[in-house]
Amino acid sequence: MLRFHTQTGGSTLTAQQPDNNIVRVTIQTLAAVLGGTQSLHTNSRDEALGLPTEDSVRIALRTQQIVAYESGVTNTVDPLAGSYFIENLTDKIEEEVSKYLNKIETMGGMVQAIENGYVQKEIQDAAYKYQQEIEKGDRVVVGVNKFTVEQEKPKEILRVNPRLRKVQSEKLMKLRKNRNNRETEEALQALREGARDESVNLMPLILDAAKAYATLGEICNVLRDEFGEYRESIVL
Amino acid sequence: MSRKIRILISKPGLDGHDRGAKYIARALKDAGYEVIYMGIRQSPEAIVKTAIQEDVDFVGLSLLSGAHNELFPEVVRLLREQGANDVIVFGGGVIPQEDISFLKEQGIEAIFTPGTPIQKVIEFIETNKERVLH
Repeated sequence: MLRFHTQTGGSTLTAQQPDNNIVRVTIQTLAAVLGGTQSLHTNSRDEALGLPTEDSVRIALRTQQIVAYESGVTNTVDPLAGSYFIENLTDKIEEEVSKYLNKIETMGGMVQAIENGYVQKEIQDAAYKYQQEIEKGDRVVVGVNKFTVEQEKPKEILRVNPRLRKVQSEKLMKLRKNRNNRETEEALQALREGARDESVNLMPLILDAAKAYATLGEICNVLRDEFGEYRESIVL
Repeated sequence: MSRKIRILISKPGLDGHDRGAKYIARALKDAGYEVIYMGIRQSPEAIVKTAIQEDVDFVGLSLLSGAHNELFPEVVRLLREQGANDVIVFGGGVIPQEDISFLKEQGIEAIFTPGTPIQKVIEFIETNKERVLH
């Protein structure tokens, strides 16, 4: 079985008339479930305006629960099976995917294709085309280039209390002072040695480091030291 | 003789949402400007260094993680500190309406939020380019 996760499309969220995003997310959720997804993330309605509020996050979760428990879509394993149009689209996607996989294979594999910028270029070209269609009005986005309103009611936006940063860094300082630093160092050193050996599974070593109160930053710094960091290949 | 306007587009902060920044970069390039695109996860220091080295006229910053009130003003501050007094800074991304006046006070001259037509960005550059062309 092909197991896959789905997230609703962040780029389809609009800052204009943001409650409409609930409807967009619902349609995308249903599509994901009809497509047979095993795991699903639903976006919040206000993510084009700010970090989501508690209320918005709850609606995003409820959207999944309404689709799961109220819509009846889960009563059948594959409700769309046998639909001529959907089966045809599935065949088309399969065909196009095979073309991509073959092309990437001839490039020397996915890592090579990313380093060449091929994958990024394909995504960017699609994003550019999509946005141009919206700009020209060839593609309708409700509330953005059609059915707009003059004056929008301001929406409540989540504000992160700036004091939290201070609270968190104080907690961190306290942790670093009070933990057994020799134990932490040893766990980080073991992780470092593990990272130098390709055959070692790092997960138990990372767990040991966390149990010795190493911070996420300290763990990542060890891995950064050993592996270096991803460098984006810029293509426009 | 007129020269081409040079624009740096970059993403300070840690979020990887670069669809908008790349769209703006490419659309401005198509509109005839010289665009330098720096990519994601850049520090204000690195952005300012590149802006000065590349002798750009405008710096466009994109941020979707909520750290704009810290990182956008820091870019302006470092630019001025290093003598790049004419460089015009603008920004975009997920920026709440109520933060825009603060950012403008800090020297970010325009903020373009989601759904802004590219023409608005071009108009902004055209209106302000005389200040940097000398």
